[in-house]
Amino acid sequence: MNATRRDVLSLAAAGLAALAAGLTGLLPVRPARAANETQLAIALFTKGALPLEGGVRIKAPEIADNGGAVPVQVSAEGARRIALFADGNPSPGVAVFTFGKWVKTAASTRIRLAGSQKLIAVAEMADGTFRTTSRSIKVTAGGC
Amino acid sequence: MQKPRPRVKLPKSVSKGVPFTVRTRITHPMHTGLRHGRDGKPIPRRIINRFVVRYNGEETISVDLERAVSADPYFSFEMAVQESGDMEFEWVDDDGSVYRLGRRVEVKS
Repeated sequence: MNATRRDVLSLAAAGLAALAAGLTGLLPVRPARAANETQLAIALFTKGALPLEGGVRIKAPEIADNGGAVPVQVSAEGARRIALFADGNPSPGVAVFTFGKWVKTAASTRIRLAGSQKLIAVAEMADGTFRTTSRSIKVTAGGC
Repeated sequence: MQKPRPRVKLPKSVSKGVPFTVRTRITHPMHTGLRHGRDGKPIPRRIINRFVVRYNGEETISVDLERAVSADPYFSFEMAVQESGDMEFEWVDDDGSVYRLGRRVEVKS
């Protein structure tokens, strides 16, 4: 086998990284590999506007046993739409709720989370501005 | 795949202007397209991608779903109405199928 110096070094680095990941605990937070993708998805939803912090709520368990079905509620008084994103999933989008007549601007569902990560909700308010909030969830068994 | 079965839970009669809860669910595998079957072949993506609720023909709530929504998608929300009406629930599948359910809501005077 013709192992170059570069191969050997990169293998060693990978081994070290794996070891480090193993040492950070039983519930390693999934690397924010999709972080830029999430930012992009949010920017697409807000059409580039920067959302203000607050005014939206995410209700979810702090620790979820089953990543395949994590109960989540999003709410924002006076919202027209609320988009939910999962920062550590293979793709960040989860769902967009659009509120019409007769309904309270809150909705519950169950979602899949690939591992411990951050949920982000962005609400489009009736006046066209955007609000945001985020919440970290620990997942003991991923579900993607 | 079995034909998806939609289900909706809501009170038959409600009081005018008093909020009530609507719970909805449809049996559906929500295949993400990321998984492989027992034969090692990838299972193609197939999800419910849209859910719409109308009351007397007007949109109450709609959801655009991505593959991160769990299998057998569940949604619940609260609403309050002024008059009796017909409620329509609609789920749209990736394959173009649309599953529908209707419910009558009576407002007690």
